Amino acid sequence: MGLSSKPLLKLAGEGISKTLSEILVCPVSKQPLRYCKETTSLVSDSIAVSFPIKEGIPCLVPRDGKF
Amino acid sequence: MRGTLSLYQRTSQLLFRGRRRATNETYTLIPSISYCTNIDNNTIDGLQSPRVKIFDREFKRKQRDRAAWLMRPGDPFVDAVADNLLDRLEDCKKTFPTALCLGGSLEAVRRLLRGRGSIEKLIMMDTSNDMVKLCKDAEAAQQDSNQNIETSFVVGDEEFLPIKESSVDLVISCLGLHWTNDLPGAMIQCKLALKSDGLFLAAILGGETLKELRIACTVAQMEREGGISPRISPLAQVRDAGNLLTRAGFTLPGVDVDEYVVRYSSALELIEHLRTMGETNALLQRNNVLKRETALATAAIYDSMFAAEDGTIPATFQVIFMTGWKEHPSQQKAKRRGSATISFDDLQKQFSSDS
Repeated sequence: MGLSSKPLLKLAGEGISKTLSEILVCPVSKQPLRYCKETTSLVSDSIAVSFPIKEGIPCLVPRDGKF
Repeated sequence: MRGTLSLYQRTSQLLFRGRRRATNETYTLIPSISYCTNIDNNTIDGLQSPRVKIFDREFKRKQRDRAAWLMRPGDPFVDAVADNLLDRLEDCKKTFPTALCLGGSLEAVRRLLRGRGSIEKLIMMDTSNDMVKLCKDAEAAQQDSNQNIETSFVVGDEEFLPIKESSVDLVISCLGLHWTNDLPGAMIQCKLALKSDGLFLAAILGGETLKELRIACTVAQMEREGGISPRISPLAQVRDAGNLLTRAGFTLPGVDVDEYVVRYSSALELIEHLRTMGETNALLQRNNVLKRETALATAAIYDSMFAAEDGTIPATFQVIFMTGWKEHPSQQKAKRRGSATISFDDLQKQFSSDS
């Protein structure tokens, strides 16, 4: 699907582990996610939805995403 | 001529009635064109929304939250299934550095891994927040051979797998996938997440599961309420499992079945067990009311129809184990059609001349 090899999460680090940042993508569009420091959430730019990270566990159920 | 006219009138009347019915009734059943995954559009990335919704996924999530609170570690049935599934890792020479573990009995899989498949990185995913948290706490408390596995936790839905394509070597799902509305779609997404030559291992409950309870429920409801409503979800049959694997595009598909008979002291205990496993009814069209009378009648009928001599009641669980690989050039496969160079006639001549 043309996903390039560039890191999926820019600025990932303290929010979630490196392993997760390498393999997690947006559950709906399968596009890369961006880590947002202020809101501690993962943002999918392609569908403009942010997924929360609760106690270090990213929550990527489509229903939990916020517009 | 008159005949045609009346026919015309009748048709128009029928049409009119049909339209009116559609506007009046709020709950009309709209027949769907196909009862399976939509193949025509956007299957390229395996991200289709299921047309037919059978299960209430949101409710299942809540049930799994509750199961996390109720769960006792070391459930013999769950452990037996997880152990059986993980044994399959020992049968392959390949190692699986990165593994993804999906829903169902997560905690059991994690606990019973014991270095099988030489997993280095394990990602555990479940739809329930509390279940994932429970696993995280269990991992922190555990002091054993699983220490060297780097474990990460994600809350995610099997129907919307948030995993990058070609990123894991192994996908394990132990007793979780039978609650997905779109099983082929979920399996296609698993296949996409796998690296080339990666293994898909899954255990799902099969159609024979809880047949005794199914019968007891039906009889009790007929007797007390004069009708039946689905209490137990439709499950995949063994023959479907093979088709599912091939349809999702796995190579070297393998399916086998195991039947476990668990004995309980009463039907109420069986329900309690189902609750701690998070396997209670989550059908969308379920009946929300269960009368106390019907429930007790079910227990009584179960007891009188199936009880063993020692007073315990058996419950059958049919578990279907599925294995499939993502294609890789090194795997064995049938030769291309028409690529043979020797005729069968020649073979026969060869053998007859030998004898």
